[in-house]
Amino acid sequence: MLIASVRRISVELCVPTQLRYSSHFHSSARTIDHLIATKLLKSSVILISLLAAGCASNVTVEQPTIPAPHIDKLPMDVAVRIPAEFNNFVHEENILGKEKWTINLGAANAAFFEQLFGFMFDNVIVLGPADDATEYTFDALVEPQIEGFEFSVPNQSKTDAFAVWIRYRMQIFDSVGNSASTWTVSAYGKSQKEGLGSSKSLQRAAVLAMRDAAALILLQMDKSTKIGELADGPLDLSNLDGDGPVEEDNGFGSASIFAIGGIDEGTD
Amino acid sequence: MKALTSSLLIFVATSVLGGCITASVEDERVETTGLLAGESVVVMAKSYHQGNETEADYIRCVENALRKGKGAVRVIPTQQFIDNLFPWFEPRTAPVDTKGLVTLMTRPGVPAAVKNMGVRYIVWLDGDTERVTQGGSLSCAAGPGGGGCFGFAWWQDDADYEASIWDLTDSESAGTVTADYSGTSFLPALVVPIPLIARTQSKACSGLAKQLKSFIVSTEAV
Repeated sequence: MLIASVRRISVELCVPTQLRYSSHFHSSARTIDHLIATKLLKSSVILISLLAAGCASNVTVEQPTIPAPHIDKLPMDVAVRIPAEFNNFVHEENILGKEKWTINLGAANAAFFEQLFGFMFDNVIVLGPADDATEYTFDALVEPQIEGFEFSVPNQSKTDAFAVWIRYRMQIFDSVGNSASTWTVSAYGKSQKEGLGSSKSLQRAAVLAMRDAAALILLQMDKSTKIGELADGPLDLSNLDGDGPVEEDNGFGSASIFAIGGIDEGTD
Repeated sequence: MKALTSSLLIFVATSVLGGCITASVEDERVETTGLLAGESVVVMAKSYHQGNETEADYIRCVENALRKGKGAVRVIPTQQFIDNLFPWFEPRTAPVDTKGLVTLMTRPGVPAAVKNMGVRYIVWLDGDTERVTQGGSLSCAAGPGGGGCFGFAWWQDDADYEASIWDLTDSESAGTVTADYSGTSFLPALVVPIPLIARTQSKACSGLAKQLKSFIVSTEAV
């Protein structure tokens, strides 16, 4: 009702303006009409641009800080290869008929894994995407990757919450480059919409998802991947039973390893 | 002057009048409680991994209400508690029952961190405020000569919360406090809308916090 009234006002303001010009300046009416049309066109373009900009949201996630955990470090040397995408990860998504979201995690993932593994292992070597792993000495090499990034906004979920899902895939190699295991970590963060800033809530949901991943990795990585056994030396390929490396999906679909919301009894 | 008087009258009317609220607060004691000097409480929301929807502002409201007024208790900020015990109180890893709490209290560094903060009780909040029904119609119009509204709208909010109190000294549940509030708000409008708002969530917060303070501080035997 209110919108309809506002529209009516704009019509009332526009029509008399054009009439006034055409009645007072007969000789140059066409030129003036042309000028008015041009101005209206420019105004419309600016207005449409502003509206379009209003339908796009940009979220920049600052580097999350993980508190020092109450866990014992694994006594081993681990190399972590940070993939190029971890230094500048941007997720773009068009919500059909709604708005475009750009979530810029920047180098948050690189900093996150460096800090996380620093808390987990006695010694950590951070390798860049171009570094040659054979030039370094370590017990195990971990290659994290982002396998999936999804989010939902209140319009979609019909709740007051923003949610973020991040799926990391961790590939683990022994000291000579044999693939030891692959582990998928599904993390979830949810933050309620507070105040007017949607971007802050989505940013918080992303940070909570990364923190969720950190908790899961800290408590379950050794159990799921047996990375600790690589401290005793590389895999003995002759003893493998032919099933290949350990591959486990420890996400929300899997209730066996980590009961959601509970402490795994076998973590020690 | 006339406009100022009208605004003042509307303000006074809306402050004095309000929607209707029915309330029920109950507690169920399992263990004897009490709070010694230096001991504190932490208020946490049950995990959203379990589908809990307790609002962040409701948790803050309960925290603040516990800190203030008669029988105020020392409250440790939730995030500080979670950070100091990382990763054991994350939404995914927090204990869901006192059996899990017993296991958690045997983890290296955990009892010491709890002791350093002086936390005696964890209050787990569960529940939310929902709009259960609404009706009526209200329309507003604005034009160059002015504007106004006409009609009548109403809605009902239900705030149902449960607080489970865990005593960390013996890793036992001390009991529960529940608060069920139902509030109906009205919005009549004859040119000017006059909101008669039932602050259901706010009342549920103060009601629950008052009962919690009494529950925790009381040394009544079971």
